[in-house]
Formats: sequence, structure tokens, C-alpha cells
Amino acid sequence: MHAALFSQLSTLGSSVVLLFGIVLLCRRSLHAYVEAFRWQSLVLAALLVIVGHFGEAPELYIVAVVFLGLKAIFIPRYLERLAKRVGAEPESQPYVNITSSLVIAALLVLLAYGVMRPLVLASQLPTRGGLPLAMGLIFVGLFIVITRKKALTQVVGFLVLENGIALMAVLATFGIPLIVELGVFLDVMMGFLVMQVFVYHIHGTFESIDVEQLNQLRH
Amino acid sequence: MNFILLLLPSLLSALLAYLVRPYRAAVGWVNAGLSLVSVGAALAFAAAILAEGEAPTFGPSELLRADSLSALLMVCVAAVATLALFFSPGLGRENQYDVAQLRRYHVFVNLFIFAMLLAVSANNVGIMWVAVEATTIFSAMVIPLALTKASVEASWKYILISSVGIALAFVGTVLAYFDFVALSGRTDNALNWPVLLSAAPQLHPEVMRLAFVFLLIGFGTKAGIAPMHTWLPDAHSEAPSPLSAMMSGVLLAVALYAITRWKVVVDAALGPAFSNQLLLLLGLFSLLVAAFSLVIQRNYKRMLAYSSIEHTGLICIGLGLGPLGVFAAFLHLVCHTAAKSLLFLLSGEVLHRYRSTELERVSGLLKVMPWTGALFMGGVLAIIGLPPFGLFISEFALIRAGFATGRPGLMAAVLALLAVGFVALLRHANRMLYGAPPQGVTMGEGGRWRMAPLFVSVSVLVVLGLTLPTPIEALLNLVVKVVAK
Repeated sequence: MHAALFSQLSTLGSSVVLLFGIVLLCRRSLHAYVEAFRWQSLVLAALLVIVGHFGEAPELYIVAVVFLGLKAIFIPRYLERLAKRVGAEPESQPYVNITSSLVIAALLVLLAYGVMRPLVLASQLPTRGGLPLAMGLIFVGLFIVITRKKALTQVVGFLVLENGIALMAVLATFGIPLIVELGVFLDVMMGFLVMQVFVYHIHGTFESIDVEQLNQLRH
Repeated sequence: MNFILLLLPSLLSALLAYLVRPYRAAVGWVNAGLSLVSVGAALAFAAAILAEGEAPTFGPSELLRADSLSALLMVCVAAVATLALFFSPGLGRENQYDVAQLRRYHVFVNLFIFAMLLAVSANNVGIMWVAVEATTIFSAMVIPLALTKASVEASWKYILISSVGIALAFVGTVLAYFDFVALSGRTDNALNWPVLLSAAPQLHPEVMRLAFVFLLIGFGTKAGIAPMHTWLPDAHSEAPSPLSAMMSGVLLAVALYAITRWKVVVDAALGPAFSNQLLLLLGLFSLLVAAFSLVIQRNYKRMLAYSSIEHTGLICIGLGLGPLGVFAAFLHLVCHTAAKSLLFLLSGEVLHRYRSTELERVSGLLKVMPWTGALFMGGVLAIIGLPPFGLFISEFALIRAGFATGRPGLMAAVLALLAVGFVALLRHANRMLYGAPPQGVTMGEGGRWRMAPLFVSVSVLVVLGLTLPTPIEALLNLVVKVVAK
């Protein structure tokens, strides 16, 4: 009963987290991007608590609190501010249009099921049902980074990719050792701050955050 | 204690550079001096390994560890860091940066050095990942020191591609940890390398195979392995020259170190065939991409960057060729570190004088700056693999390892591609060294004594080319014992 509930909750949670990643694909305004990312992080934080409770891994509560603070509050707020400062240009025409993006996302999730099959088979974890969804989110994040043209939307894509990894880590291992987890959070925060500085630089030197202009360096 | 002496100086230097404002030349000199302490500590580790043969550990749940492989990399990182710090902007000669930029440079370069040293001394592979990711963040902060369009573009590509790549390496780490947890339960030191290694034979081969693919793509992005190398020529050519020297000379080596660590674990689970084949394939591809990119280069810093990709490829091939190849690969890594850091530091001097990174605009270097020119010529002859320099010996050993493991076809391809790179580099270097100096270039060395530290690099290369000193041979043999049993 307990295990079945745990299994259902974790699969449901992972699906919702993945869904917010796919929602990103059909949005254009940066505001919508940030909003979807914030909700995704909120659900993921809740999932951390669920796994912490059922999986008897109390240090996940600490991880959940830090995660919530960093990814659901700090980073989205900074992103909003950044968008205001550099002028929120909408993602006019990504390299791949919305309909094809959704089809590709579906294929990526299928691919994730294929890739993760050996793991799901090898595992007895109640959370194993969510593992392919986590890999799917990682692929979707990669896809966003590759196909979007604005520096800021690329940053959000990267953050989604990281959420995918966090999801996989919690489902597959009930949390990596705390000291590593804290190091990862430190890296995420510093990495985000540096990327944010660079978005200002790009805006300042190119007067737009369209990365299509970044094409001077060849060969 | 030794670990503290290794890691603390760079942190102290960063702190000092942060606290003293505005930046003063004294800070730069103190930082360069402090880095000598790290070199001493690294050498002490190497000596201790040779004397006792046991790997010392340090910290709660053995957070840090220094076996022969770590010690070798520590020496490389610390030595190149010291050289680069002595050549950093803001050490008492004219430069194009203002005090705020110099302060930023010195804070982040020292943090970057700290992250590299932490990466090679971390026992926990999770911490190793955290440190490698941190190297990206800190070095990216220094690339656009003077905000030009090209440097902003280079740093954006660098941080985005490397962060995504390194994130994939974390997926690999999680997958391996997942398998470990499924086998032996959750423990705090499960990500410690020796613990992982001892459990490896029982891990699921199919999971480890997947994990290694992610790890190789991830750390391979940082190591500049083609086709994940696209950020490298941009970042290495746009960075201030001392940073280029560290990125090309040792950061690539640190990433290759991470790949090697994981290769050992994966080989224990799968047998070496899988990882060897992947490394040979990607190594050859890197060599191919680099050789032909070298031919069409018009910018000498990018030329040096592509040469780094070429040598990364060679090291990967060596790693994939069994014990003999591993020996050659690490000898090659040491020689490449010495030669490439030398060349990038000299390219900084050339850029300073000619005010251009275009090959077309640089000529008559031997007349304009005789010492710099001569050293540059020595460096180029070394990286194209001519005797009496160390890279000749290591490349020779590598080819021999290839034939010994029965891969004559592969070795023929490697030799052909090396020849292409050889001709291209020699032709470009000829243009730079000889001919009439362009109008308006000041003649004469900037300061002869400034060049003195670089003679250390040259002598290392020559010594390694003429004889293999016993301590180095012994250390490399210990490395082989760790990497390829």
C-alpha cells in the first residue's frame, strides 16, 4: 500500500515536472518561460519532500528547502529582473517552430524510454517509473538550449536541463551525498550569476540578446 | 597538512586580490610567490608517492586523496599556474587593462587555479565534478576582461557549451551512483573513487556503459574532444594569454584526468574494450578535425588552440591502447603541458608587440624580439614532435604502443594526420619568425629577465626528450598501475 502510493506519487510528480518542460516549448514570451520554470521547480521541490518522506531519507528535506529557495524563488526573480533590464524581446522565431518542437519533444521522451530501459529493468526502486521521464526532461532541456535564439531563453533551457538532472538524481538514488549536493547548488548559483552577467555583456556590446549575432568567430 | 599547503595559497591569493582595492602590482607579485608553495606541496606529494607508494587521504570521509595519478596532475597544474601568474597582466609593466579589470582578473584566475587543484585532489568523484564545473565558471569570468564583441561571443559559447556538457557528465555520475546504491545501499563515501572501484566488478554492465557515454561526452566537452570542441578555439584565442596558457596547458589535462578516473571504474565493470574503442574513435576524429583546421588557420592563437585539440586526440588514443599506450599518453600530457603553456605565454608577448592575432600581420619575429622568437621557435618545434623535445619521445612511444597492440591501420592514419598538422604548423610558424618586420613595430625585447622562467619549460622539454629521468619514469609507471591493470 505504502510502496504503491509512493510509486504512483513519484511517477505523477515526475510527469508534471516533465510537462512544465514541454509547456516551455509552446511559449514565446520570456515571462511565460520564467513562470513555467518556477512552477516546475516548485513541483520538483514537493517531490523531493515526498521522496524524503517515503524513502526515509531525511536529508532530502534540507535539499528541498535549498532547492526551493534557489530555483523557485531566487533564480526566477532574478530572471524577471534581468528580462526587464535588457528588454523582454519575445522569442520571435526559434530555429524550430512550435508544432515541430512538440513532435520532437514527444520523440525525445520516447528515446528516453529506450535509453533508460536497462536501468528500469535493473532497478527495484518504487520510483523507477519516473526515471525515463527525468531523462526525457534532460533531452527537452538540451533541445531548448540548442533551438532558441535568445541568450535568456537559452539560460532557461539550461536550468530546465539541470532540473531534469536533479529529478533523475532524486528518483534514482533518493539523493546524492549531501556534501556533493551542496557543491552542486553552489555551482548552479555561481553558474547562473555568471551567465546573467554575460547576458548583460551581450546586451551591452551587441544591443540585443539575440545570439544569432554571435557569429564573428569562425574556423 | 600537505593538502592545505596545496590548496590554500590560491584561495588566499584570491582573497588578497579581492580585499586590496584598487589593485596594486604588489598583489600580483605576492600571488605569484604564494603559488610557489603549491608547487612545493605538489612535488612533495609526488616524492611521497615514490617513497611510500601509499596514497595519503585527508578530511571528513576521506574527501581528498593523492595517488600517483593525482600527484602527476598536481605538479602540472601548480607549475603552469605559477608560470602563468608571473606573466599575468598587472605585474609591473604596461598593459591594456584598468585597475578594476586587473582586480577581477586576479580574483578569478586564482579561484580557477584552486578549482583545478581541487579537481585533481578530490577523492569523491562528485566533488571532482563540482570542481571541474567551477573551473568553467571562474575561467569564463576572465575571458571577456576587455569587453570586445569577439571576447563576449567566445565567453558565451564557452560557458553555455561547457556547462551543458559538464551537466551531462553529472548525469553519468548519477547513473553510476544509482547502480552503486542499488548494489550496496546508501553510504556517505560511496562516491569515493576507491570505494566505487572496489564495487565496480559487481555493477550492471549495461548501466555502466550508459554512464560512461554520458561521462565521456561531458568531460570530453571540457577536454576539447571533437565533435564537442567547438567552444575551444574561440575561448582559448580570446582569453588573456596567461589564462589561455592554463586552459590549454592544464585545464584540458584536468578534464582528461576526470575521464581517466571514470575509465578505470568502468573498465573494472565492463573490461577495457568498450572504453578503449570509444576513446580511439573520438581521439582519431579529434586529430582529423584539428589537422585540417590547422591548415586553414589565419590567427596564431587559434592555431595553438587547434594544436591542443590535436594533442588531446593523441592522448585519448594513447589512453585507449592499453598499458603501453597509457604510459605514452601521460608522458605526452606532461610534455604538451610544458610546450603549450610556453607557446601561449609567448603568444601574449607577440600580441603585445604586434597588436594583432592575425598571422598575416606578424613577421620577422626573430628580428623583432630575438629571445621571444627563439623560444617560440623551440615551442613550435616541440609541439610538432621533433627531437630533441619530449613530444617526439611520447609520440614515438604512442605509435609503438599502437603497433604492439596490433593496430597498424589506425597508426598509419594517426601518422598521416600528424604529418598534415606538422606541415601546417611549420608553415605558419615560418611566416611569423622570418621575413621583414611590419612597419612601425618597435624592435628589441621588452625585458630580457622576464623570459627567464620560460627557459625552465624548454629545459623540461629537452630533458624529457633526451632521457627519461628515473623519478619521472617511476611516477609514470605507478600511474600506469593505477590506470591500466
